[in-house]
Amino acid sequence: MFTKDKMVALIFFLPSLVLVGYFVYACIGWNVVVSLSDWKGLTPSYNIVGFDQYLSLFQDPVFLTSLTNNLILISLFVPGSLFLGLFLAILLDLKVRWEGVFRAIYLLPFALSFVITATLWLWMYQRDVGVINTLLEKIGLGFLKSGWITDPNIALYCVVLAIIWQFAGYTMLIFLAGIRSISESQIRAAEVDGASGFYLYRRVVIPQLKAPALSAFVVLMVFALKAFDFIFVLTGGGPAYRTYVLALMMFRETFSMNHFAYGAAIATILFLLALVIVVPYLYLSFRREAE
Amino acid sequence: MRIPKLRRVTLYILLVFLAFLFLLPLWTNITTSFKTLKDVTYTTPIEPPLTPTTEPLITAFNIMQRPLLNSLTFTVASTILSCLLGSINGYILTKIRFKGSNIVFLFFTIGIFIPYQAILVPLVLTISKLGLYNHVGGLILTHTAYGIPITTLLFRNFYALIPDSVIMAAKTDGAGTWTIYRRIVLPLSLLPFVVAGVFQFTSIWNDFLFGVALARGPWSMPASVALANLKGTTTVMWNLLMAGTLWYALPVLVIYLVLAKYLMRGFMAGAVKG
Repeated sequence: MFTKDKMVALIFFLPSLVLVGYFVYACIGWNVVVSLSDWKGLTPSYNIVGFDQYLSLFQDPVFLTSLTNNLILISLFVPGSLFLGLFLAILLDLKVRWEGVFRAIYLLPFALSFVITATLWLWMYQRDVGVINTLLEKIGLGFLKSGWITDPNIALYCVVLAIIWQFAGYTMLIFLAGIRSISESQIRAAEVDGASGFYLYRRVVIPQLKAPALSAFVVLMVFALKAFDFIFVLTGGGPAYRTYVLALMMFRETFSMNHFAYGAAIATILFLLALVIVVPYLYLSFRREAE
Repeated sequence: MRIPKLRRVTLYILLVFLAFLFLLPLWTNITTSFKTLKDVTYTTPIEPPLTPTTEPLITAFNIMQRPLLNSLTFTVASTILSCLLGSINGYILTKIRFKGSNIVFLFFTIGIFIPYQAILVPLVLTISKLGLYNHVGGLILTHTAYGIPITTLLFRNFYALIPDSVIMAAKTDGAGTWTIYRRIVLPLSLLPFVVAGVFQFTSIWNDFLFGVALARGPWSMPASVALANLKGTTTVMWNLLMAGTLWYALPVLVIYLVLAKYLMRGFMAGAVKG
């Protein structure tokens, strides 16, 4: 039945449906169409050539390097942020005075723009005047001084370290909320049974953090896939493609070299990879809500 | 959990040391913003300046003035628009029963998770077609559209807590959809508007990707793009670059100091950054 009420509701709904429908869904479809074309250069071409772009991507060493870098990034950054965040959450759970202050300090980097944090790390990693080399010198570890992000062997790890620093506060926040939602009586009962310290956390608390761990995991994975701003500003993908990632390659191919079809193909691959992570997660959370 | 006293001391030492690590980049940012180029070379980044100067901050402000104003314009406009639309959507999704409302909610939610690279080429083409390339208006439209999924989620979760009986009572009194929204739901919405508003302001202000793809021109570029350019041109003038960073960070730092509690609620709602 279509009442006047529902008509009004539909009218209010319309702007959002149109905006999201167009800017999210139609644009994704349009991007796929571009990726199947031979569009190169500034004049649009919708001459459909099928999967040519995708085939050349998998023969392009830059693409394979970027993909590998993304995978390394994911395999270090995701567990690194989860563990550091869990560690911080447990520390703050130990009835700490000024807990709010510490929490706010650890979360602060996450509130800042990647352009800011990347500029700060660029400054810290500087060979001559950067604070890291300066500090190493001061504490007698001068032999460890390095060019950090300019050293091809460790540049990617320097990027990983910096983004773990930025995301650890976020995972801490998620885990802390998870720990706080475990009932006090359950912890008491375990304490009465003689569980304490590390054992209490490992056996009683951590096993109950599966749900927050999963949502943090999805957020971190999706971020690591599409990481762009931070690396663009910190290293620009260098030295020698050692920190080049898919999102950076997509941007350069499309907007610096005008290889529109090629860039769109990289974007489609990124989108599909994100779907692989997000769809099972959304399916699980929607099913849980329905129950 | 309670732990023995000696271990408690170790705990606080650890917490303070970690706080030092988390604040170190910001501390060196502030010290360097007040240094002369000479001090940048002859003092360590941790030390305060020998001869404090506000010149880097003034120069950086002159360079960043217009981009900061641009950022402020589209951030405020898109924050307000996306929150209003999100609020209406949240109301419709929770208080008006209709078939397929879950599907519609899923339709919005997926928008939170998509990597924006997947829409970037069509987005640039669309904004150019509309004549909004290199125009603050293009960024307002873009940030509003891509803000709707997350604001819808935030408002929906809040409105789910308003008892249906309140709405039902108003309905039997003859109030229509719009009246109920304006008279009952909206007055109860201060908290979600603060949470969603703070969250949207921060993420839109922090954006770089849309800015660099849609508005690189000198009159329309956002502060994030201006800062990245500043880095490109003045690699050796660290005091100027740090001062520019400080200006760009300032609004978010102020919001964080005053409203961190609300920003945290936004982060927690399955929010995705970047």
